[in-house]
Amino acid sequence: MRIAEGAPTLAPWAAAEALGLAAAEFAGFQDEPPQMASGAVGKTGFLRLGFERRDDRTILAELDRRAPYMAQRALYPDPEMPDQAWLFVITTSGCVLQGDRLALEVVLAPGARAHVTTQSATKIHSMDANYAVQTQAIALADGAYLEYLPEPLLPHRRARFLSDTRITIAPTATALCGEIVQAGRKHHHPDESFGATLLSLAVEAVRPDGKPLFCEKLVIDPARRPVRQTGVMDSFDVLGNVVLLAPKDVAERVYARVGAEVDLAEGVAFGACRLPNDAGLVFKALARETAQVRAKVREFWTAAREEATGSAIPPPFFWR
Amino acid sequence: MSGGDHGAAAPAAGLARVLQFGDSMFPIGGFAFSSGLESGVQKRVVTDARTLEAFARTAIEQAAAGDGIAVVWAHRAAAAGDLDELARIDARVYARKLSSETRAMSVRMGKKFAELSAEVAPAPLLATWRERIDEGATPGCYPVALAVNFAAQGFAARDAFVVHQYGVAAMILSAALRLMKIGHVETQRMLYRLNADADAGYEAAARARLTDMAGFAPLTEILAAVHVKAHVRLFMD
Repeated sequence: MRIAEGAPTLAPWAAAEALGLAAAEFAGFQDEPPQMASGAVGKTGFLRLGFERRDDRTILAELDRRAPYMAQRALYPDPEMPDQAWLFVITTSGCVLQGDRLALEVVLAPGARAHVTTQSATKIHSMDANYAVQTQAIALADGAYLEYLPEPLLPHRRARFLSDTRITIAPTATALCGEIVQAGRKHHHPDESFGATLLSLAVEAVRPDGKPLFCEKLVIDPARRPVRQTGVMDSFDVLGNVVLLAPKDVAERVYARVGAEVDLAEGVAFGACRLPNDAGLVFKALARETAQVRAKVREFWTAAREEATGSAIPPPFFWR
Repeated sequence: MSGGDHGAAAPAAGLARVLQFGDSMFPIGGFAFSSGLESGVQKRVVTDARTLEAFARTAIEQAAAGDGIAVVWAHRAAAAGDLDELARIDARVYARKLSSETRAMSVRMGKKFAELSAEVAPAPLLATWRERIDEGATPGCYPVALAVNFAAQGFAARDAFVVHQYGVAAMILSAALRLMKIGHVETQRMLYRLNADADAGYEAAARARLTDMAGFAPLTEILAAVHVKAHVRLFMD
């Protein structure tokens, strides 16, 4: 999100707006909501979190926010890594609505260690006009360590959502960034098993000098491409997708610990692949229920944290 | 450029050469790969003709929305003789191959294809692209090597796209003959049906931006991860 001097600068939420306007897959959804216009004040959330190492712990040194995004303060709840700052991203609107343009920036200074998560599932409401956009710009300096593990993405039927994540990472830093994508509220309504109209989820990682590491763009467009088709989701309802960007020795140790299996009887499939350009690993898990995917993501998180920091992960929260 | 116009070469010779460079007999090692089908059969994701055809359909749909767009863009860059743009496209294709096996397949077939192209056809661009790959200046992914060859010989981008799609389906179906109980008549029928969407696929790829390359086949990717860790393997992916 750093724009060269002299160039016209776009606010992060305006950049999110521009991204939606340019995305080919959203060309048919450019109509304005009859409620508040897309990108209006109150629909343009912005949150910038800057973490820095001070003495023996990481602090939230910079906080800039604009509704409906907010954050309160860093917490230190993890006995295994007491120096690591935990930050719960909050949204005051409770869900993502048509016309929302949300921009999140997470910056870790050298040696900073942070865990960023959300307080509940990111619910994306049904839409009859326009779409919602979320951009995430994540930057890690030398030796920084980030765990970005938000609660699941929960698209309601007829949701249209574009998410674009850019990670800029120094070669000595480690980032574990994951998302869990649910089919919908499948026990609530029969149309909520992949009933979202369109989900476009992109992640791209580069080095600070701009050298590309990897890029993944998932477009889930059930009307054009059947989601249940063999090799896509088959009978699974929940996808976990986690990238571990780490120095090669760390990534190789994690890779050696993580198995790969497709077990149709149990309804679980998972495995890790080595990313191009020695960027690290990508871990995917599929299951019928969110709890099964969460358990697999926790296993991967365990291996990643232990190999990267030597620390164990904390026990699960009782209420999550 | 129309699909039937084979540019520099006389029409019949042009068609013969499109067939030659698109043939699964063209020795770039495609027979060694199954595109995840081997694990798919082992793990009972693919069990019969219906699931095999659906698995192959997923693969060609992923190719059309991903590598196929790169084929079209690389063909344009090669036709303009723009080597820097070709290298940029090649790097983007490589950065989107998230599994080490799909990466290895693309790079091995691409290198071999560029090498043979330069040995067989006289166009200077083919020799230059082969050198770039040998020097390590570019990864040498298969969709780009294919597009360079077709542009250098004056064949249409549509032909390159279709040859690429055909290759994806043919590779899986020929692996299927060795991996599961299925006959030639059935796989040929599937291939016939799968090729029906080639025009729509090309039209969409020709309209797309390079950054539109996308896909969604998580189970196929997990099958690739399973395959790397498997002890007994007939195919390289």
